[in-house]
This record gives sequence, C-alpha cells and structure tokens, in this order.
Amino acid sequence: MTAPPLRMAGDTHVGRVRKTNEDSLIVEPRAGLFAVLDGMGGANAGDVASRTARDAIRDFVLLRRASLGPKQLLEQALQAGNSAVHLAAQRSREHHGMGTTVVACLVGESGRTVIAHVGDSRAYLLRDGRLQALTRDHTVVEELVERGLLAAEEAGRHPHKNVLSRNLGSRPQARVDVQEISMQGGDRILLCSDGLYGYASAEGIQYLLGSGDAPEHVCRDLIELALRGGGGDNVSTIVLEAPTRTPAPTSTQVVRTTGATAWWQKRQRFLAVAKERGLTKNPIVRGLDPKEALEVVAQSLCEAVFHDLEKSTGVNVWTFAQNLAGAWFERGGDWAAVRGLIDILSAGARAVIDEVSAADPQLGFLLDVAVSRAFVVAELALGGLLSDRLQKVDTDLIQLIAQNDTLDSAIEEPSDTGERFTERPTIPFLRPERPVTSPGVSSEVLDGIHKTVTIARARTAPRAELVKQVLVALDAIAAENSVSFATAVLSARELYGVRAADDAGIMPLFDALDQARVITTASVHQIHASEASRARVLRAISTAHQRLVGATTGLVLEAVAPYSERLRDVQATTAKLREQLERAERRRAALERKFAANTDPSSPWDDHGDTEP
Amino acid sequence: MAETDLLEGVRVLRDEVLETVHHGDREPPGAEVFEAVLRALAVGGESVPGLDLALHDAVARRLAWGDGEEVVLADAEAVFDRLLGAVERAFRDPADQMVVVEAATLVAVTVSRVVALAAVSRASRERAARLREEMAQRQLQEAIERETSTIALLEDELKRGY
Repeated sequence: MTAPPLRMAGDTHVGRVRKTNEDSLIVEPRAGLFAVLDGMGGANAGDVASRTARDAIRDFVLLRRASLGPKQLLEQALQAGNSAVHLAAQRSREHHGMGTTVVACLVGESGRTVIAHVGDSRAYLLRDGRLQALTRDHTVVEELVERGLLAAEEAGRHPHKNVLSRNLGSRPQARVDVQEISMQGGDRILLCSDGLYGYASAEGIQYLLGSGDAPEHVCRDLIELALRGGGGDNVSTIVLEAPTRTPAPTSTQVVRTTGATAWWQKRQRFLAVAKERGLTKNPIVRGLDPKEALEVVAQSLCEAVFHDLEKSTGVNVWTFAQNLAGAWFERGGDWAAVRGLIDILSAGARAVIDEVSAADPQLGFLLDVAVSRAFVVAELALGGLLSDRLQKVDTDLIQLIAQNDTLDSAIEEPSDTGERFTERPTIPFLRPERPVTSPGVSSEVLDGIHKTVTIARARTAPRAELVKQVLVALDAIAAENSVSFATAVLSARELYGVRAADDAGIMPLFDALDQARVITTASVHQIHASEASRARVLRAISTAHQRLVGATTGLVLEAVAPYSERLRDVQATTAKLREQLERAERRRAALERKFAANTDPSSPWDDHGDTEP
Repeated sequence: MAETDLLEGVRVLRDEVLETVHHGDREPPGAEVFEAVLRALAVGGESVPGLDLALHDAVARRLAWGDGEEVVLADAEAVFDRLLGAVERAFRDPADQMVVVEAATLVAVTVSRVVALAAVSRASRERAARLREEMAQRQLQEAIERETSTIALLEDELKRGY
C-alpha cells in the first residue's frame, strides 16, 4: 500500500487532572495507519496497555500489509494488539486486568478508508461542514440502548454510561467493529479519546474541525478546547484531511502569497518615498526622531498592509488608521495633518506598486487592487472617527445652547425682592428636571460594551441568528442601565416571540443565551482597555446577561401559568360533578328503599328510616 | 491570586452574600447558587461538567419543599447581585473579579435554564392531569345521566302506587 497524499497531525495532552498520560497514538503516514489508544488499569498499567497494543498493531500492519486486504489487515492488527495486551496482563500481577480502547484508521489509495474500533475512543467524519460520528461507543449503556432495553434519552444520565463493554486486553479474543468508507476531497477524519468529547461540546469540535486551519492547528485547538472544558482526562486527537484537487490559484490566493511577499520585499522603497514626501515633518510625528517617526507610522502601516494582504482582511489597516488618527484627534489635532499623512503613505504605496507592475504587470494589477482596497479601509476608519467627532460637536452645541437658554431665563426672571441671583441649583445633576439617563454606565464602560459586542458578533457563526439577536439585546440592556429591568423584559419578549412552552420551544433560546455568554466573556478579554476597565465592562455585560435570562425565564413562567389555572378550574368542575353524582346516588338509594318498602312490607328499610339528607 | 486562594476568598463572602444572619439555623435562600459558583470556580472553564445536574437537584428540592419557581429565580438573582457587589469590594485585582463574575454568570444562566425547564415539565404534567380530569368528567357526566334516568323511573313507579 503506498502512502496516501494526506494532510495529517496528531497530538496528545495529559490534561489538567491526571498525572500520567495513558493515551498512545499511532501516526504512520507511510502505511496510512493512524490510531488513538486510551489505556486503563491502576499503577500505570493503562500506560503499559496502550503502548503494548500500539506497538503490536503498528508492527502487524507494517509486516503484513502486503499480504492482507485492508479490512482484514486492520481487524487482525487489532486482534494482535489484544493478544499482546492480554498476554502481558497474564504475565504480570501488577498489570492484571489492564486494557485499552482503540480507534484505528487505515487509509488506502483513492481514499478507501477502513475504520476499526474497540471501546469508547471515537472516529468522526467532517464532510461538507457536517460532523457525523463513525463509531458507536462500546459501553454497557450503548449496548442496552442498541438492544432496546434503555431509551436513548436516558443513556446520557445513566450512572454507568462510562463503563466499557469491550476493550483490548481483558479477554483472549476481542470483538472488533470494522467499517469502510470512501474519503472524498476535503473530508476530515478525527480520531480522539474520551478526554476530548467528554470535555468539549460537539458544536465546538465541529467548529474547530471545519475551521479550515491546518490539521496541526486543529489538533492543538481541540486539545485546548478540552482543557478549557475541565481537562479531566488525557486528551488525544488525530486529524486527517483528504487532499482536494488543486485548482489554478485564484486572484485572492496570488495576492495572499506572491502579492504579499512582493509588497514586503519592497518595504524599503515604501519607507524611502514616505521620507522623501516629508512624512517626518508631519505635525502628527512632531517631536519624534525621523527614524522613529518612520518606524512608528510608515513601517507600521507597511506591516499592517502586509498582514491584511496575507489574510485578505482589512482589520490591521483599520486598527492602524483608528489608533493613529484617534490619538491625534484626542490631543486636539486637526484633520489636515491626518489627510496629509495618508496622502504621503498613499504615494509610497503607489511607488511600490509601480515597481512591482514594471516587473510583473499581472501581479502589479492585482496588488494595485488589493492595496487600494487597504487604503479605502483606512479612509473608512477615518470617516468613522470624523463622524464621531461631528456627533460630539453636535452634542456640545446643543448643550451650549441649552445652557445659554437657562442663563437667559435666569437673568430675565423678575425678582420681587430685588435679589439678582436665584437659588436655583446650577450644578447640572442637582437640577430636578434633569432626565434620568443611565446613571450607572460611564462612557468608558459604554464604549467597552459596544466594542465587546462588536467583537462577539464577529466571532459568532454566520447562521447563528438567535445568538446575534441575544448579543444585540445584551448591548442594549448593558448600555441602558445595569439595574433596569424594563429593557431586559422588552428584549426578552422580542427573543421569546411566539415560542411553544415546551422543551423544544425554549431550549434553542437558552442555548443561544449560553453561547452568547461564552462568546462575550471571551470577547471582553480582546478589547483594548485596562484590566480594571475590562472588569467593569464584564460586570455590566454579565449583569445584563443575568437580567436577560431572568426575564426570559419569567416569560416562560408566565407562559406556563395558564396551565395551572386551567387545571385548577377543571379540578373544581370535577369536584362539583362528583358532588352532583353523590347527591344523585343518595337520592336513588332513598327511592329504591321506598320502592322496596312498598313492594315488601317486611323489608327492614322502614326501621332504619330514610338516609337522604 | 492562585485558584485555591480565590476560591477561599469567595468562600469567606458566604455569610455576606447569603445574608445568613437573617436566617438563623435555616439554609439561607439561594445557598444552592452560591455553592454552584464555588463549584464553577473550582473547576474553571467555559462550562462545568455536572453543574446542570447539581443545580437541577437543588432546584427540584426547593420546589418540592413548596418554594415557587419565581421565588427560586428571585433568590438566584439576589445572590448574583450581592456576589458581584461583594466581589468588587473584596478583590483588588480586576483579573480575580473577572474570574468570579464569569463563574457567577455561568451559574445564573444555568439556574434560569433549570427553573425554566422545571416550569415547562410542570406545565406538561399539568396538561396531562387536565386531560385525565376531563376524561373523568366525561365518565361522571355519564354516571349522573344514568342516575338521573333511574331516579326518574323510580319516581314514576312510586307515583303509580308501588
């Protein structure tokens, strides 16, 4: 079997709780063999078991791959691993009872792939963005479910859900499940131990596996995910990716690779033109050494453009322009200086593009478009800042006019006592007519909240509309006032809509609320602010979150309240009917007694009298 | 602050957050929320294995003892607010404050979900009970009709001189 042209990576981590790593990996690209083994047994026996099985499986495949078909080869290799562990367990008292799980994958030519497993280590397939489990855990609970002795929904809560029904090493012969699939271009297979899926959500695994990052990065990120989820067990992952047919590179790819490199190679030219055009004399860099000025402004922009070209984004140039102009405007700087600086940098970029075009016109054209786009992004960032400034000027003007009006009315106010000044409070927040607006949220926190929510929305999956709605609601509630419930209730009503008051109706909403919590918490740490400010922002958003979930739960309680009322009404009606029936029964009994007395005078009924009330 | 120190730091805020002085020997309301925050801090991370189950048990116990869902929810909210206030005052390092706030938010969201699910389960039980009552009503109606017709017959017979 020739080695398949796969992209692959494997990684393992001891976790946060265990002291030893009892997992083992097989990554044999030459033979197309990959496996994850998770050992078990006290006194390091698990480590011994997984290593023994690993060596036996690998040796078997390497020795016999020419003589056996892939399915037979992998099944017999796992049997060989089982025998090796079983024998080792028999020989040593301290290793008695040891065993290991295994999930193994043998990738053949043209994507034909055999997967075999014993125990609860799993294989997943990611195809067209959808994750599906290829293996079924060999646990007691799963076997019960398979035989119809336990409901699937009870399996997750079963106390013995982690008790294995099969493993390698406990018996002379292992029962191996083998299946064959055909890997298509772009498919990804994940082999993992229970330390991954036990501590990371399926959504998280799907997201990382489908991120498009290189397999080694995916492995690392998956392990990180499990560690953040508690890391209570050893974590092992192997990611395999079937190659896609490489099409001719697109314009974007050319810019990301050749274009970005060409730009970076010409950075000295960029700096030289910027210096020639007088960047070092611009008021924004006044006070800086010319060399330092070039580094701070021209070199930074050059790097920002390079990173944006590499990643086809505009975020670096945007941030550069905002930081540069924002700081300048805060110091009271004027617009002309910013305009002049951007024109100088633009001239430098033009010079670089001209040089690249002279050498390679096609590349020069693509680079021209990409760099022009970067400068448009910078202009947009500046436009945003200018817009903020105009708004501020607008607000200041309105306040100034209001203050003038107040002053005029105070002067014009007739005074019977002849006093020149009234006792009307002049400190704005003591004015009784002052509207109550957001007393608890400072502008710094407000800004942090908006930034956090913006980052959180960017991190949210495009289809997660409900999560995005929750983020918008959080922004509104946190910005409004952290102690106000009105906005929280209104937002909760919008989110709740016309959901049915049952599990299927409300669970997506609570899942979205939880996802929004995770995303915003992570996003707070990404805003540019002091730690103290971040703590205040997190507190405001968390309070808003609590209010929102509280209000949502309140709506659920409101929605289910009629059920109790209706039940009480129905119970009251039933009680009335029972009374009515009892009365009718007593009446019938009395009539029967009378009837019996009339037909048979010797009847004892008359002696006892009528019992009707 | 080390994780264990932080945990201890929050643990000593228990009396303040739960206002134990107002409740004497009784378990203060919202104690389950505070315990869950401690558990979340001990484990760390975005999600805490078993937190749902632990809170589900605690909430179910309170509901079984007669507390309404609204009361459980209000207690959780009060504990959340008091905890955030106490933490801001007690911890100087903003990083420590953030860790506790994250844990408290996780617990707040989980409690709300557990309460909402408990309410929904109760509603479905009540829906089933209502159906049973309506079935019983139909049977009672039939029985009453039978009794009424028998009574009419008997009265008729008695009038005719039996």
